Amino acid sequence: MLEKIKNNFNTQTWVLIPIAIAINIAIGQIVVLLKLPVYLDSIGTVLVAALCGPWAGALTGSLSNIIWGLAVDPNALPWWPVAAMIGYMAGRMAQWGFFKEWWKVVVTGFVVAITAAIVSTPIAVYLYGGITASGSSFITAYLMQTGTGMVQAVLSTGFLVEPVDKITTAMLAFAIVLGLPKRMVGGYPKASQVEVSSGANQTQLYIAIGVVVLLVLFAAFMLRNILGG
Amino acid sequence: MAFVNLQNVTYQYPLTKTPALQNINLQVDEGEFVAVVGPNGAGKSTLCYALAGFVPHFFKGEISGTIEVAGKESSKSTLDEWVLNVGLAFQNPFNQISGAKYTVFEEIAFGLENIGVPREEMKSRVEDAMALTGIRDLADRSPYSLSGGQQQRVALTSILVMRPRLLVLDEPTSQMDPIGTREVFGTIRKMAEDGMTVVLVEHKMEWIAQFADRVVALKDGSILLEGKPGEVLTSDLLAENGFGSSRYTSTAREAKKRGLWRKENLPVTLDEAVEGFALTLPFSSPKGAPRGRGESGK
Amino acid sequence: MHERLSFHIKRDSVIHRLNPLTKLVLILALILIAFTFPWYWAPHFLLLLAIIPLGILGRVFPEFFKTATRLILPAASFLFLMQAFFQPIGEDVIFKFYFLDITQESLMFAFRNAMRVFVMVSAFTLFLLTTHPSELMSDLTRRGLPPQFAYVIISTLQILPQMQAKAQTIIAAQRSRGLDTESTFLKRAGSVLPLVGPLVFGSLVEVEERAIAIEARGFTSKNVKTSLYEIPDPSFDKFIRWSLLGLVILSIAANLWPS
Repeated sequence: MLEKIKNNFNTQTWVLIPIAIAINIAIGQIVVLLKLPVYLDSIGTVLVAALCGPWAGALTGSLSNIIWGLAVDPNALPWWPVAAMIGYMAGRMAQWGFFKEWWKVVVTGFVVAITAAIVSTPIAVYLYGGITASGSSFITAYLMQTGTGMVQAVLSTGFLVEPVDKITTAMLAFAIVLGLPKRMVGGYPKASQVEVSSGANQTQLYIAIGVVVLLVLFAAFMLRNILGG
Repeated sequence: MAFVNLQNVTYQYPLTKTPALQNINLQVDEGEFVAVVGPNGAGKSTLCYALAGFVPHFFKGEISGTIEVAGKESSKSTLDEWVLNVGLAFQNPFNQISGAKYTVFEEIAFGLENIGVPREEMKSRVEDAMALTGIRDLADRSPYSLSGGQQQRVALTSILVMRPRLLVLDEPTSQMDPIGTREVFGTIRKMAEDGMTVVLVEHKMEWIAQFADRVVALKDGSILLEGKPGEVLTSDLLAENGFGSSRYTSTAREAKKRGLWRKENLPVTLDEAVEGFALTLPFSSPKGAPRGRGESGK
Repeated sequence: MHERLSFHIKRDSVIHRLNPLTKLVLILALILIAFTFPWYWAPHFLLLLAIIPLGILGRVFPEFFKTATRLILPAASFLFLMQAFFQPIGEDVIFKFYFLDITQESLMFAFRNAMRVFVMVSAFTLFLLTTHPSELMSDLTRRGLPPQFAYVIISTLQILPQMQAKAQTIIAAQRSRGLDTESTFLKRAGSVLPLVGPLVFGSLVEVEERAIAIEARGFTSKNVKTSLYEIPDPSFDKFIRWSLLGLVILSIAANLWPS
């Protein structure tokens, strides 16, 4: 176990993590300022997870969240286990070979999203009684007011909101890996996990973007149904 | 046996098709100051990495031949042991700031903390090293607030403080002004006289001619020429192979074609150039007299 | 946004002189008690009777007040509003807004949660104001924290402001070119990508050289590391730490006690 954790960390990992955290926070803030309908605050976390492994990903997620909480938005602090699980899960998916082609990366994003939704549920329920300081709590509130149980309401909200964000995040992280010179990737502990197979072509990218657009439309449709019904 | 001994070293980075170093044989004595010159892509930085242990320990890739420093063989050692003997400072000073420290003093102590030097000894070694490179007044500044030249001095000091037996420098003064460069080269020269072995990659030929004991010219990963600075730096072979040369050398080379340079050797430094031209130019003032523009114009 | 990362205020006070671990235990204890002690007004009392006096004792009250009003108060208020409006608990409806009922219970619930968050973040703020990051890291490393963690934390604190400054420049550049934050989101995203790209790639290609630089300075050395600074840890500090641990246990026990 300890050996498995240790093999995520070489000097390049330790140097990458602070940069990844800064990428998380800087892009997260740009996204907030641009009023984009996503968070995109874990691109760096997914990048570390893919290149170095699940434990390095989990550490990056936790530290990002704590620093974001102390420097940007205090309401983020209680959510660090979610950030840690995002990193861990992304690392596991990469380990299972799901970080080599666009469609696999979409699957990774989806699995990470579901994980995030599940992990955040107990925090939302026990710490906040279901209603957090996030805008998406509007949906939860509506579901609860119309008679849905708290846990189901929180989970449904998570399933609705997370996939678009996490799939986009995973795809951007993958785009970064593709964009880096191969020589720059080789030094990380799990470089072989991101050795891109032949399928990382344009067609796949378009299909992946199509999936994201469909998800956005689906989420919008559900939202309208919820709010309109 | 030589202090630094490279035997038939050939090395190829991963994912590349041609070797970065080809059949390098190089011996350096203890306390010798060797300069390495060469055009871009000649393998100068790779040679530095090979001496400092990063080739192959950090970069992986395929290596053959042997690299020995102080009687130890690189392939039989680990990188963390190797860096205790061999110090490396390179060109970009910004990337050499550890980022883990808030002041220059702490930054220089970083390496000593890592290798476990006791606190009191650490403090005095940091003080000494800062005095040596003339950055005592920067001790409490943030490393990020410094100019490029100052950061290069900090990077150099951070390595000197570890007291390596072999110091490998890859263009350590690229962002310094001429006065700063002269000071730093003087310091390095003195370190060499005190017994530290120095291998330096440098573009500034005039400085090499003044300070180095020997010059190695690299081209396409192989040694093209090596010898005394005055001979190597002025050789026609270098000029033909796209090596840069000092402006005094190129001026004199042109002058020689027109019969205005009569000495056998071409100059590298200003003093050598003045000395040589004094022999041929009829209006030049005699040796020792002030050389002003106004006078030579008369 | 980037002055916020240099929290630490260099002053001499009783709080500044405490061992960093003692301060860390202190704030964690305050937070745990605020969240577990089964008395509605516990967080309020902790704020008034512990955190604010500690801030005054630490001679950082003006800075503390500034952070509290600028950073923590807005966040806590937002949480309060969200919960007061959306929390579907209680019968006693005070106010109705479309499908949302505000009840006395939801108000009380929201107020306590907001106060808990306020206590948590203000305790952290107090800690950061009076503790230099290198001091904390030296002390924790001496106690067995892997030194690489210290490297990651401090390095992040130094890189982040640089990255944020670059991000600010990008946004300012976009604004000056008339970036319309109201246009379609694809357009907004598309306009930023070509600027964020170089920022990200530029910092990633530095990783290799930075790793070489710290390895050249013994980062991976197997020797026992030493520290430039000596962080005092008098027995008084140990006493405080154990007492605080006792209080936390009492608070948790009171929380679990069947009432």
